[in-house]
Amino acid sequence: MIIRLLSAALVAGFLAAVVATGLQFALTSPLILKAEVYEEQAGKQASLSSPFARLIMPAHGDAHGHGDPGAAQEWEPSPGLERMAYTGLATLVGGVGYALLLGAVMLALKREPSPETGLALGIAGFLTVALAPAIGLPPELPGMASAALGVRQAWWLMTVVATGLGLYLIAVRRVPLTIAGGIVLIVAPHLAGAPLVVDTDSKLPAAYAAQFAARSLGVSLIFWAVIGLAYGWAWRLFGEAASSGNRSHA
Amino acid sequence: MSTTTASTQTSASASESTRAIVIAVLLGLGLVFMTGFAPAMALHNAAHDFRHTQNFPCH
Repeated sequence: MIIRLLSAALVAGFLAAVVATGLQFALTSPLILKAEVYEEQAGKQASLSSPFARLIMPAHGDAHGHGDPGAAQEWEPSPGLERMAYTGLATLVGGVGYALLLGAVMLALKREPSPETGLALGIAGFLTVALAPAIGLPPELPGMASAALGVRQAWWLMTVVATGLGLYLIAVRRVPLTIAGGIVLIVAPHLAGAPLVVDTDSKLPAAYAAQFAARSLGVSLIFWAVIGLAYGWAWRLFGEAASSGNRSHA
Repeated sequence: MSTTTASTQTSASASESTRAIVIAVLLGLGLVFMTGFAPAMALHNAAHDFRHTQNFPCH
């Protein structure tokens, strides 16, 4: 069973990564590159105005380096093909990771994996890890002002866990008490409030940021839909392969 | 007799699926952590554009 789950997750993660990587190159990566030009300008201005400004501002000194000034020496993929290759690789690893989690949830819920149940769970995955956190912390371009990383990661994690549990209580348990509890869980992180920073010195046009947020959510939706559909399809495929294999042995 | 066999099989497949769930969850969380959260600068830089697009809190 574990072999079948791992195989189906590998196939689903790979197919989803192929689709999502193409969409990222077409839709989101060009906006990230444009934003980095503004980010670089802001970084230069900051280092001119005050030697300490770079420590305070979340601006980046070079085109792609991040965080504190020491980070400039860290390895990073060279622009162009190498950077695209690493983006594709990260999408593949992330896609397989998400597909494994989807497969584990499917098994825990005792649902027979099919393209239909896979798609339903994929949409739930999108709502949980993409849409719910994005309502408080919208997908952001490099160089936009933001709260401390640890605070944002903690809120992100809390929102994902609460939304996932909430959806489970609403969609799987489905009795009035659990539905009410699920709604409370889904809403609570947003009432607590996301660590969003509104003030910014960034010259980045708002239209780029808005377009990026919408496109990023669109890419996530398709990423998750393909993971779910492909997982259900591949699960069946490996089941048939195994049973016909057994028959030929017998 | 047949009932015992059936229940043994059920518990065997239940423990098999529990094991599969645990392995898949640990592996899946590990991979997602690596691409989305790992603080190592080299990993961050490699996965940078993916992190931004998939809305992981970044830098």
